[in-house]
Amino acid sequence: MMIPFINNRLPLIIVFVFIFFSTAFSQDAPVVVDSAAVLKGEQIFKANCTSCHVMGDKKLIGPGLLGVTDRRTKEWLKKWINSSSDFIASGDADAIAIYEEYNKVAMPSYYFEDADYEAVYAYLKNPPVKVEVLDTGDLLAAEDEGIKTSTQLMFIGLFLLLLVYLLTSLKNKLKASLKQETETISETLFNQFNLFISNNRNVVFVVVASFIVVVKFSFDTLSGVGVYTKYQPEQPIAFSHKVHAGENGVDCNYCHTSARKSKHSGIPSANVCMNCHTYINEGTITGTTEISKIYEAVGFDPDSKTYIEGYEQQPIKWVRIHNLPDLSYFNHSQHVVAGKVECQTCHGPIEEMDVVYQHAELTMGWCIDCHRTTEVAMEGNEYYTELHAQLKEKYKGQKITVDKIGGIECGKCHY
Amino acid sequence: MKTTKKYWKGLAQLHDDPIVEKLAQNEFVEELPVDEFLGDKENLSSTSSSRRDFLKFLGFSTAAATLAACETPIVKSIPYLVKPDEIIPGVANYYASTIYDGRDYASVLVKTREGRPIKIENNGTCSNSRVQASVLSLYDSARLKHPLKSNEESNWRTVDYEIKEKLSKIKDGKIALLTSTILSPTIKQLIEDFGDKYSNVEHIMMDSTPYDGILDANLESFGSRLAPSYCFDKSDVIVSFGADFLANWMANEYATDYVNGRNPKNGKMSKHYQLETNLSLSGANADKRIQIKPSEQGYLISSLLDGLRGEKFDSRLSSIVRALSSSKGKSIVISNSNDKNIQLIVNAINNELNNYTNTILVDKPTNLKQGNTSQVDNLLSDMKEGKVSALITYNVNPSYSYNKAKEFNVALKNVALKISTSSYNDETASLMDYVCPDSHNLESWGDASPKHGTYSFMQPTISPLFDTRQFQETLLSWTDRSDYLSFLKNFWIAKGIDWNTTLHDGYFNLEDKKLRLKSFIDRSKSIKNSSSTELELELYETIALGDGYQANNPWLQELPDPLTRACWDNYLTISAHTAKEFGLENWNVSNGALNGSLVDIEADGISLKNVPVLISPGQAKSTVGMAIGYGRTKAGKAGDGIGFNAYPFTGKKSISIKKVEGEYEFASIQLHHTMMGRDIVKETTLSDYIKDPSSGNHRETYATYKGKLTADKVTLYEAHDLEIGHFWNLSIDLTSCIGCGECVISCQAENNIPVVGKEEMRKSRDMHWMRIDRYFSSDMTEELSAKEKISMIDMFSEMEEPSENPEVVFQPIMCMHCNHAPCETVCPVAATTHSNEGLNQMTYNRCVGTRYCANNCPYKVRRFNWFQYSDNDKFDFNMNDDYGKMVLNPDVVVRSRGVIEKCSMCIQKIQELKLNAKKSGQPIKDKDAQTVCASSCSTNAIVFGDSNNKDSEVWRLRNDERAYDLLDHLNVRPSVFYQTKIRNKA
Repeated sequence: MMIPFINNRLPLIIVFVFIFFSTAFSQDAPVVVDSAAVLKGEQIFKANCTSCHVMGDKKLIGPGLLGVTDRRTKEWLKKWINSSSDFIASGDADAIAIYEEYNKVAMPSYYFEDADYEAVYAYLKNPPVKVEVLDTGDLLAAEDEGIKTSTQLMFIGLFLLLLVYLLTSLKNKLKASLKQETETISETLFNQFNLFISNNRNVVFVVVASFIVVVKFSFDTLSGVGVYTKYQPEQPIAFSHKVHAGENGVDCNYCHTSARKSKHSGIPSANVCMNCHTYINEGTITGTTEISKIYEAVGFDPDSKTYIEGYEQQPIKWVRIHNLPDLSYFNHSQHVVAGKVECQTCHGPIEEMDVVYQHAELTMGWCIDCHRTTEVAMEGNEYYTELHAQLKEKYKGQKITVDKIGGIECGKCHY
Repeated sequence: MKTTKKYWKGLAQLHDDPIVEKLAQNEFVEELPVDEFLGDKENLSSTSSSRRDFLKFLGFSTAAATLAACETPIVKSIPYLVKPDEIIPGVANYYASTIYDGRDYASVLVKTREGRPIKIENNGTCSNSRVQASVLSLYDSARLKHPLKSNEESNWRTVDYEIKEKLSKIKDGKIALLTSTILSPTIKQLIEDFGDKYSNVEHIMMDSTPYDGILDANLESFGSRLAPSYCFDKSDVIVSFGADFLANWMANEYATDYVNGRNPKNGKMSKHYQLETNLSLSGANADKRIQIKPSEQGYLISSLLDGLRGEKFDSRLSSIVRALSSSKGKSIVISNSNDKNIQLIVNAINNELNNYTNTILVDKPTNLKQGNTSQVDNLLSDMKEGKVSALITYNVNPSYSYNKAKEFNVALKNVALKISTSSYNDETASLMDYVCPDSHNLESWGDASPKHGTYSFMQPTISPLFDTRQFQETLLSWTDRSDYLSFLKNFWIAKGIDWNTTLHDGYFNLEDKKLRLKSFIDRSKSIKNSSSTELELELYETIALGDGYQANNPWLQELPDPLTRACWDNYLTISAHTAKEFGLENWNVSNGALNGSLVDIEADGISLKNVPVLISPGQAKSTVGMAIGYGRTKAGKAGDGIGFNAYPFTGKKSISIKKVEGEYEFASIQLHHTMMGRDIVKETTLSDYIKDPSSGNHRETYATYKGKLTADKVTLYEAHDLEIGHFWNLSIDLTSCIGCGECVISCQAENNIPVVGKEEMRKSRDMHWMRIDRYFSSDMTEELSAKEKISMIDMFSEMEEPSENPEVVFQPIMCMHCNHAPCETVCPVAATTHSNEGLNQMTYNRCVGTRYCANNCPYKVRRFNWFQYSDNDKFDFNMNDDYGKMVLNPDVVVRSRGVIEKCSMCIQKIQELKLNAKKSGQPIKDKDAQTVCASSCSTNAIVFGDSNNKDSEVWRLRNDERAYDLLDHLNVRPSVFYQTKIRNKA
């Protein structure tokens, strides 16, 4: 009985393990463009050019620059960049054609050092092929983590199976030598179970243990009622914090301006979106579909880059993720400015989230725990000067945590 | 002093009514009505629900509630599309503006949150409860939501077109513009322009309470129809004949000056004599109060003039004559009489005393009263004769407040074109052809000149909520123009005003043209004594409703009168002596509520039936008082049918009353919250205070093993550590508090305090976080009895006998924030706890409603939410109204049923203050710390601050000799303390 079992299953298990391991190595090697000049050129390009040009076919304020090195010579480009108006005045036909095409607006002049110009040209000649290079790296890392755990578990499982197999076969061998009837693995397990429950103490132990498990499980479940950690609703616009805050490094405060001034962090109004999206009409993940929803809300025509007259604007109804009950007062500016707490402390790795989810529990225990362990940011704040001296006197050597200045009193959050 | 003087809160207490004892023992008077339901066998047996049904319901509802709780509610968050620059969600903006509704004027700061005005703060002028409450009137859903044509909804185009058409066709008849007193220079200009465009335009102003006597008298004395300014801070002797200048007389601006002139720290206080009929707020604050009948006033004023001229005078005036003669140029004599001759005598007295140019400024007159009753009377007769072709009213409600309202309403039928610009479809507007609703002050641009040379701007803090248009725009549109804002801007810029700066400040001074005044001419005629035995009526305005313009404001309706402590009513006030004559009574029913007899009153054919009578100590014998501003019929759901309209009795002195069957239920909180007769108010006289600043403030000592110690030195408990950080304290000066109740409304606005209605107030379920207790006291003391050899029995009976003319003390009471709080120790769920900054915190979401804390509170300041007062049709006030709810402060929780609430010392403001200090890295400045009761107090009686800051005013006050803790023998160590009351008695 037992040998066919192993015979049947073992190859499967091996295949399974192989598949698991193979996934770890099955990713393509990233495309690496390893020229220092291109990298430098990219930096210069991003610093100077991106407000009017994209590395693609689309027009922004100026033309898309993908393949521009095929269309124009290196010298032509240099002249144009150095002073397009002089170049146009010199009567170059191509220059005049572009001037005419873009409503007779000449490009502002940029005087690059020769080395810099070379770098920019190198970048223009070798545009990035795949933008999501970094992404795969991230994925890899995340997957690695998961694989490690599952591999470990699998090894333990295999080891245990092997142990059962070995012990059973050993037992069978012994029995065989004693001329007793041999058992299959399942018979062994069944007999062992019967043996186990024949002892009252074992039963009591199991009952008590399962009672504890059930109580612990119920307690955890019940105390999780109303706690919406990982709450990740679908938003009317598939806005990605990862693209904005992570990849493009937009400062949190650029959009959530009131986080420094008010109790609310504030969802940015559509005009803040339009600061950038007047020109950026295409996203990296969803293309134009999501960005066009902003245009629909404010009544903006991306082709003519103008707001539509008399358009009835539609508010964007975001789904609120972090819902504190009305009975508790929370102030963002208190934590961000006075407390000098990073956004990520409560909101988690927001710059890595494509779709934002609630990172923290937002329970009172969670607040209090933090208040008990976080030191008050007193240094250099004149409000605290006198208080700090008094507290140092009172709590000699101890950390001055938030609870020591009344940070866990009821009335600080409930009024 | 305290052991010898008896204080009582009502006549019942004096008469040892058992109800007083009951109230003293029980915080909540009524038992739960369990027996009412279970005891009713019939009721029980008639119900079809069995016990099994009950269990089914119970099980189902539990399961349903559990299931419902499992679902995650989806909350939408909708940001602005284009965020206005000045708005940061969650941060308040303040705008300087002006409130003027035709009656009350104040320069104010308006606090707005996310574009909603939610609170009025004073901007350097004296304001009052009506100004504080006006922010709620903005959200009054009874306001007109569109123009009306023949009481039907219309639109501005139609209304404007038709009105202009009709106005331009008028050739012969008069176009009368009947308005309240106009303070705005631009409105005056617009009215002039209006007069240029149309023919025969006449502008008439009327005040709800006429002041023609003063205005006409000054026209004779000085050649200009004006009302002077009074400098109460510069005057050593104030003699007021019936003028309630601290509350409602003339301009609401005198209280600050009055109190500034009465600071005992300076070793000098003004001496205030009040000769009056009704016990008014000014009378309650007077050092000496003499009761007179209204008909005696003229004679007494005339006699006073005689006395000052060294002739024979009435003996009652002897101390006044002495005081006035010795402070020439430093006194004020005023009268509330509307009789020109009486006011001429007053002028003669002030001239005799050399008060003009010293304490009374004729060259800087107040503009608040310009009404002319004779012109209004002429208008009425013109209307009767059909000479008026068009009538336009603004800010007035003559069909309600004109004493000839009946005739007026009849005469209206003779007017071809009737237009009202009222915000409400009120008594007058509902009789008009067109109503062009005016916007609220907080929605309008404007300007005002409350005084000669003083100006202030009004700026909108919210777009008009309804399809209303401010009167100025209406006038512009009728003169074929538009855009009042540009008109206003150009008007003032042309006068050289820096628009942005002045708009920011809210007010400015401008050198006005000097008034052309003649030198004083005395045209007074002396008045003989003609005292009558008839019953006389004196009308008054309450501190809450004033002339009744804001009658539909439930905050004001529920503000208890400072003296009678009744709300949601007007009534006939009568002295105990006169009540006895007519067989009239007041009595308390089993739940402590006050009931009273009813009378019919009649004067010159005008009568009111079934008017309740409230016995009021201090009322002069053979007189009755009655408040105007009540009895509105078209004010809105809160104001309609509350009380009786007393306006028709204006000018009627003698009346007759007749007791009728029946009784009336008052919502008077007079007997509520008794303090078990303990030593509560400490007071002394100025002369004693100068000798010993701590006089009247001696503390009991207790024998201990360490010798005799005061209560605060003996304690079993470990004290909270209050040395570190802030220690928030509140000082209340009983000398400065005039009892006006502005702080009560201010607190109500800031802390989302619900209105509970008359029935609940009557059951002593008021929700106000602060109350102003009023204590009457008797003149009899042990010292006096010893001096005058009065026997013990006589002395005590004298102490108990209701004084016909008692002294009055006002004492604002809110949570004392005890640092050894009795409430904290009894809460079974730790819902009320102590902060390390000296605050007693109340956590509503922890409270399970045992009310142990309220029972254990020695000050009775905790309030229980018997019902859910928001979104409840049974409490159909502002919190059950989508507009009314917009006034709620988003930083304060709206409490639900079954929890206790109380004063938090405006913890939301403290937290905001600290946060701003931490964010800017600056220490807190003393003046920045404010609770709303402190910031709204026009007399600076309430001072808030950090006692751990040794530079703060509150620290100085804490260590003042006058400072005392209420019920200090309990040693609950309150964070709120009082300053002894000081009277300037001889």
